[in-house]
Amino acid sequence: MHVAITGADLLTCHGGTDTTFAALAKGVDGSQDLRFYDTGRINVTRGYHVDDTADAEPEPPLRAGRWLARCVLGAVRQAGVNPAVERVSVIVGTGLRELRAMERWAVDGVPVRRRNLHFTTAVREVLPEVTEVITVSNACSASGHALALAQDLLAAGEADAVVAAGCDAMSESMLTMIGRVADAPTPALRPFQEGRAGVLLGEGAVAVVLRRAADAGSGALATVLATGLSCDAHHETAPDVGGIVAAMRDAHRRAEVTPHDIGLVLAHGTGTALNDPTEAAALDTVFAGAAPGPLVTGIKGAIGHTSGSAALMSLLVAAWAMRSGSVPATAGLAEPIEAAAGLRLVIGEPAPCAARVAQVNAFGFGGVNAVSVIRVER
Amino acid sequence: MNPDGVTVTAHALHVPDPIGGSVATAARDLFASVAPEPACGPDQAHTVLGRKGLLFKEDATRLALCAVHRAFGLPPGKLTEPLPGAEHTAVVVSSNVGNARTVRDIVTGMRAGSAHDVSPLNGPNASSNVIASTLAIRYGFTGPNLMVCSGATSGLDAIRLGVLLLRGERARRVVVVGVEPDDEVAGGLAALRPAAPGTTVPVPLRAAAACVVLEPGGAGPRLGNVRRHTRPDDIADDLRACVTSPAGDVTQALTPPAALRLTAPGAPGAGGGIDLTPHLGEVYGALGVVQLAVAAAWLGSGQPSGPGGALITCGDGEDGYASVRLDPADVPAPAGGG
Repeated sequence: MHVAITGADLLTCHGGTDTTFAALAKGVDGSQDLRFYDTGRINVTRGYHVDDTADAEPEPPLRAGRWLARCVLGAVRQAGVNPAVERVSVIVGTGLRELRAMERWAVDGVPVRRRNLHFTTAVREVLPEVTEVITVSNACSASGHALALAQDLLAAGEADAVVAAGCDAMSESMLTMIGRVADAPTPALRPFQEGRAGVLLGEGAVAVVLRRAADAGSGALATVLATGLSCDAHHETAPDVGGIVAAMRDAHRRAEVTPHDIGLVLAHGTGTALNDPTEAAALDTVFAGAAPGPLVTGIKGAIGHTSGSAALMSLLVAAWAMRSGSVPATAGLAEPIEAAAGLRLVIGEPAPCAARVAQVNAFGFGGVNAVSVIRVER
Repeated sequence: MNPDGVTVTAHALHVPDPIGGSVATAARDLFASVAPEPACGPDQAHTVLGRKGLLFKEDATRLALCAVHRAFGLPPGKLTEPLPGAEHTAVVVSSNVGNARTVRDIVTGMRAGSAHDVSPLNGPNASSNVIASTLAIRYGFTGPNLMVCSGATSGLDAIRLGVLLLRGERARRVVVVGVEPDDEVAGGLAALRPAAPGTTVPVPLRAAAACVVLEPGGAGPRLGNVRRHTRPDDIADDLRACVTSPAGDVTQALTPPAALRLTAPGAPGAGGGIDLTPHLGEVYGALGVVQLAVAAAWLGSGQPSGPGGALITCGDGEDGYASVRLDPADVPAPAGGG
């Protein structure tokens, strides 16, 4: 059963939806020097912070939850959903939860309450009447999983509207593990780029309101046909072509599309040594025989790897690109790796696009894969 | 949509050190009747799992592995090939503080020197979904893999999502695990809440794991729909409404009263119910799954004498409450399916 996106909001290092899309269109790299951390020890110096420097506190508490609340409220208002009279579920996908608050409590003695370590309280503070808030901590594909579950809830008749959301702020522990495996600090996130140095973290939040397509009326931002899910069951951190291909094929089967139908792919594109060639190989496999194949772009060079938010942010960019007829170039990409030679990557300038159906990739630590297929009317 | 009712086809409890010891209470008597043997702690997990593959595995991951291993009745040791049916098996894990100690240790290790002083083997544990993905890798479960970190209702949220994966035909079997460790960081975090009504201090966190295996149309006890309570006083309203068809039709008239009532600290409308917490200790994100495993074991133990099943409620005053019914396998399916 198809579901319609009737409201959406996002927040990135570039700001809200309009400023983020404008920055993507221009290919602006939003990275900056990291705040809050001892970058010399951590071996990571750059990242894509959400700008909350106007806040009175140097590092405000519970940043992820604040951004989430803002986006959920924005999306619900745009959709005109009223949780007081309808059953509205909220599924929050996150990679790092409020682990930053956990760290600051454990190491720096900054107070926190346990209710703030997941996102029920953050959402209920702005929407007290929602039926439920479920926090799904599924690494870098978390909001793709939230989207799949949201669609399933609507298909099962268990909600009238569902908010699928994502949010993440950087954690010192995850930055440390990224710095641990880097020889030198990564200067820039460059998806599919020859000689790329690795990933940089982004921050932000995103929310979409979903209804059964038959209930949504006209004016929906996009239709979600389906999301395919799989787990590699292969390695704790390294991606696996087989698992990723399985998620793509599951998505196509559920969406009742063939690779020929898909004109645009929003790649996961993290700029790591392992992800990019693995993702390219999976796309080669799935789109073999569908020449010339879809346009492929990625947004992490512009907004960073926003972890749990990444899937839904890519999805909104895919919808916007198809509606506007212009696909943003992959920020940071000039010379693709050989493994990506078979992909029609958008490089340098935005590409005109007549596609109406797009695929959105998201893969996470632990081999958790979520691939969505969306359609826009033009 | 798969219209078949969801059943619990396997279950296991793995609770190393209940806080109540052998002090006789209703909670202790019930728990001992379904889990009479003591379970090993995480440092002895190799006695259940074999020695391979446990290096740098956190306590919560080890306990979760033990619960799954026992639910499937497996001998110690790593499998040489995936479990039968693994390719259609999903995993849903509930845990709120499973990796809290690792997160702290990574930061303190880095701050004492640099990132290069931290073991790269800690890397997977920096991501909270490490428990769910480790189960998938160990047993070959390639179906959807979810980590639920949703607070006091997390255990039943995991059950709810597990049922949804079956209804949505994303898996033919779902392994649901609830688990928490009780290291000093996890315990400290879990205590950052008000005490339950009528008490002065929070019950301390204790390590616990439980596993239930869900399948559509199986032979085990029948699982109802998980219900979220939007008002504190609607738990009582829902006591008889927890079995509904997949279409959402309430079939309370056909549902006999619950014979076993498992409740949560401070849950309103739960008079006469058994709260396992005084015996087990606080088990936080594990509770809903622990309760369901206890109920499934109780239904299979020959103790029940009537047609009624179990009604369980987990949650707390801050995160709210959720409930679900588990009814005996032989209750006739209500009209309209389910």
